[in-house]
Amino acid sequence: MIDDFYKYNPYELDRSDKNQLLTNELVELTEFHNNRCPEYANFLEAVNYKKNSVNSVEDIPFFPVRLFKEYDLLSVKREDIFKVMTSSGTTGQSVSKIYVDKETAMIQQKVMIRILSDYWGKKRLPMIIVDTPAVLKDRQMFTARGAAILGLQVAAREMVYVLNDDMSLNNEKLDAFFEKYPDQPFIIFGFTFMVWKHFYQELKRNNHKYDMNKAWLMTGGGWKKLEADAVSREKFKNDINEICGIKHFIDHYGMVEQTGCIYAECEYGHLHASIFSDVIIRDFKDFSVCSHGRQGIIQVVSALPHSYPGHSLLTEDEGIVLGEDDCPCGRKGKYVKIIGRMQNAELRGCSDTYADKYRRT
Amino acid sequence: MQINTEELEFLVGNHDILCEMPQISVLPMFSDKIVAFLGALSRELLNDKRSKKFVDVISYAYWIRKASIEKNRDKHIDRKCRIGRGVAFHVAPSNVPVNFAVSMTSSMLAGNITLIRVSNKKFEQVDIICDAMNKLLEDEFNYLAGYICVIRYDHSDIITQELSDICDVRIVWGGNRTIREIRKAVLPPRAIEMTFADRHSIAVIDSDYYLLQDADEVAKGFYTDTYYTDQNACSSPRLVVWTGNKVEEARKLFWSKLGELAVKDYDMKPIQAVDKYTSFCTLGMGHKGMKLVSDDNYVVRIEVDNLYPELMEYKNSGGYFFEYYAGELDDIVPVLTKQCQTVSVLGIDKKDIRDIVYKYGVRGVDRIVLLGQTMGLEFIWDGYKMIENMSRFVYIGEYE
Repeated sequence: MIDDFYKYNPYELDRSDKNQLLTNELVELTEFHNNRCPEYANFLEAVNYKKNSVNSVEDIPFFPVRLFKEYDLLSVKREDIFKVMTSSGTTGQSVSKIYVDKETAMIQQKVMIRILSDYWGKKRLPMIIVDTPAVLKDRQMFTARGAAILGLQVAAREMVYVLNDDMSLNNEKLDAFFEKYPDQPFIIFGFTFMVWKHFYQELKRNNHKYDMNKAWLMTGGGWKKLEADAVSREKFKNDINEICGIKHFIDHYGMVEQTGCIYAECEYGHLHASIFSDVIIRDFKDFSVCSHGRQGIIQVVSALPHSYPGHSLLTEDEGIVLGEDDCPCGRKGKYVKIIGRMQNAELRGCSDTYADKYRRT
Repeated sequence: MQINTEELEFLVGNHDILCEMPQISVLPMFSDKIVAFLGALSRELLNDKRSKKFVDVISYAYWIRKASIEKNRDKHIDRKCRIGRGVAFHVAPSNVPVNFAVSMTSSMLAGNITLIRVSNKKFEQVDIICDAMNKLLEDEFNYLAGYICVIRYDHSDIITQELSDICDVRIVWGGNRTIREIRKAVLPPRAIEMTFADRHSIAVIDSDYYLLQDADEVAKGFYTDTYYTDQNACSSPRLVVWTGNKVEEARKLFWSKLGELAVKDYDMKPIQAVDKYTSFCTLGMGHKGMKLVSDDNYVVRIEVDNLYPELMEYKNSGGYFFEYYAGELDDIVPVLTKQCQTVSVLGIDKKDIRDIVYKYGVRGVDRIVLLGQTMGLEFIWDGYKMIENMSRFVYIGEYE
């Protein structure tokens, strides 16, 4: 039961306690989806899943995340669906469709608050969103950016969108925000490259001075775009600190398929798995589990997904488990580094390839 | 003839040559001029130090050497009645570097004036072959300069239409999407088209026979059939069918030998492991009667307990195999669909496979070869006799 998790703080359990709690829950979830989602039941049969041979989190079958693009996967009745979340898809691309019912949505929110309050306290804070309100326009079909923002909503006292529809910075809104919330902690949230390009660079260009000393800058969406422009994580932090005075940075890793379970960055630059979820790094050569420090394909497990079979997923990202239970920040559990999306393979041969069909952004 | 060629890059030939093409005389099939040119090209390629790195360039060079072409010429017994159709416009595939030259060879031997669009993707093999042709066309074979242009251009419906307007034969190499795109450009009323669409292939192995062979040699041959082109060529087997009495023993040896080679020589990318697993799961979600039997991600094997046409829609590349034990050879009929190109065999008589094709009147199977030889260069491909198809028969009441 997910309620068992709420007895603990999100980073309280060490390896063996967490493994026991999470394994039990994941076995139950696997059974739950097995009984309710016929496609998932077929999948379990194909991978020859045996409930009794599960001893740890690593033994739960991993489901390829791409299949959410090809199938509508539900473990509840369609009429019980409260919202459909989609991955960021540009036009013409297939998108993941994640079917969320009220129960799962509620769990997602609850867990999100628990995780975030471990970073900036239980108090709801005002939040600057480095995006345009248009990102949420269609409530039924929103993107990863929209999903991340909505996930955070529960932790915000108020959300102020500071970009216009054309991505220009709305200085009046910023002025109003700082007038309303002077000299107090607040959050700035945005996707990494948008914060850099449409927030930081604009502020630098305008020479606008705001006091962001007490701000927490939370980012998501990965680093590939910025790294391609030779902006490293260190440069990002240093330059933004210099111009905006921001001291607290929280990057995070998460995906629409496991909303709520984010992996948030501590003051030592490590992304932490909470008790609600975990990361397993797998060797591409045989999907065996990589030892800590070795790069591999990221599998994520989460105790949250009830309305769809997304509790154990093989992603298309690569990462490294840096350590477990021993981060100097005091949080227990694994802490990871995300390398980013795997590269498409350039195949020889004359046929259209499977990878081509599902060419990813 | 007016063609807006500003956006064309010429690797061989130039704007004037292209514009003149419709006026140039066609040549007889297997004309001495062309046979000599190909022989000279073969020598140039074999002398170029850069070729050594590329097995595909070397095999092409051997294929077009004078003796080899003359041997093929003698098989074309009606060649005296045949002459080129005119301008042959080839659209080469993006991921098989030497294919453009193979297509060009048939076209020239048929007697055509040859215009080839190669992929925008740069391959050193393309440069090597074009450099050699340029050298010959500028000098000894200057009289053939009007017969060939190799070009590149960014996808453009307008250019494709302009080039299609002057052609008498259009040859489009796959995939299906490319063919769909190119076909938006209409052909002149008399022009014909040959398209090489997405295909797949299968292998049939007799277990008893296999166990009497040198397992390492068989593995090498099968590796060339598959991994050498990322198992993504039309001719790459995606399904292995076993027959005979010692299937378990044979399978074990066969896959372990192949696995050793793949781990050693195949540069698998992490995303391919995910792709293959995803394909398997997609199949598993919709179908019963299959199981994953591989030990690692280099050789991913899915054992199926029956064959059905849609199975092959779940194919993948880079070391992804369906495997089936056939009690009777006729069991393979369901997968001999339109998309099935090559059946490679080991310990099975090629004629037995052809007999099945005829007995059931299936739409697929254009080619039956020995295991390990699916990549061989041939003048008969995808059911076409290439040179004949690109030529015109001048009939005087006789066939020779």
